[in-house]
Amino acid sequence: MASLETNGTRIAYQQFGEGPDLIMVHGLAANRAFWMTGLAPLLRDHFRITLYDLRGHGYSATPPSGYSAVQQADDLAALMTHLNIRRAPIVAHSFGGAVALEFAVKHPDRVSQLALLDAKINRLQPTLKLADCDQLTPFEQELIGEVTDVDWAAEEQIGIRFLETVAERRVAGIHSQITNDFVPFADRRGNGRDARHWLRLLRETTARAEFVSTDGASPEAIAELTLPVLLMYGEHSRVRPSGERLKALLPNARAVTVPRAGHFFPARAPRVVLQALAPLLGLDLATPQQRPSAVFAGWATATCS
Amino acid sequence: MHQALAQPPTTPGRDADSTLPSIVAILEDFLQDMETDFDGEITRQTRLLSDLGFESIDIIQLVVAIEEALGQQSVPFERLLMHDGRYVEDLSVGQLVDFVAT
Repeated sequence: MASLETNGTRIAYQQFGEGPDLIMVHGLAANRAFWMTGLAPLLRDHFRITLYDLRGHGYSATPPSGYSAVQQADDLAALMTHLNIRRAPIVAHSFGGAVALEFAVKHPDRVSQLALLDAKINRLQPTLKLADCDQLTPFEQELIGEVTDVDWAAEEQIGIRFLETVAERRVAGIHSQITNDFVPFADRRGNGRDARHWLRLLRETTARAEFVSTDGASPEAIAELTLPVLLMYGEHSRVRPSGERLKALLPNARAVTVPRAGHFFPARAPRVVLQALAPLLGLDLATPQQRPSAVFAGWATATCS
Repeated sequence: MHQALAQPPTTPGRDADSTLPSIVAILEDFLQDMETDFDGEITRQTRLLSDLGFESIDIIQLVVAIEEALGQQSVPFERLLMHDGRYVEDLSVGQLVDFVAT
């Protein structure tokens, strides 16, 4: 199995597809499999895709520390060097977007295009509160309704708290009844290893504090980026403020709001993401793709996250 | 589930009977590195998720291992993993063997 020993840890990766290089970076409590829900298979005819697991996730190792976006940008740099990828476009979701942004600021010559899909940038958006979004997803409604020993309104990093609580419930054998929304750790037939691992990561390493560290690139450094950037955010996503602040810093970036979408739209609507990526990546989508309206027809209306 | 396998890829023919032992060997190798309670014989009926405790990432990693072991490139694994935009409920060893052997 392909992996790289670097920066005191082991990073698992895989490559497939034909064409120029493209790198995809997943978000917290996910792994490479996140991209297999649709976007990576759609891109494999156009690119040689590199997927990897962030440290502490998937098949990568779980060292005691080194989990901030700034530190994990060094893992990405080492992986690209190991794979002889000097420069490539990067498509990244959520916390993976923060890693990709830090990498781009530190190595502007190594990123040709940058697609940030619902990326939360801690320095631009230090807290994430329940009230930051006007709607709750079905999954969040279920969680808040059933878990009453958490003061949800007071929580300042609600994204991680949601992921922790759903993992605790998964380990306890409580499965979400939600079927029309993306739910983390929802492989109900599996043995819950991903959920147990996420809890260990939060409780036995320094990851919890490092995931929300604000030691990232300064607004001034971000504003110096000149590469083509796509800022794609869900209409009802709690991390939209990050997107708005990035847009203010990067006026030439293309900003796309995904209507009626929450945080996990890359998994829920990969063809919508593909349409937005096409101009950024110079993709010629020769075969007609589903129109966004058709894709959204089956969506739940309230999908905040 | 079976619908997910309705359109097998057009890869060079491979005999299902001879593929089974190879895949079982790969699975046994896999289980050594996994936290799993499974302690039986792997047959065509063994289910990857509910019996072996696989998660999505394990299926992807397994397919990579199969590609390497059988010298078969680019198994369209998303068809094993997804159906109608959702993760499949489960996957049997037999289904996996038939998919690879087709």
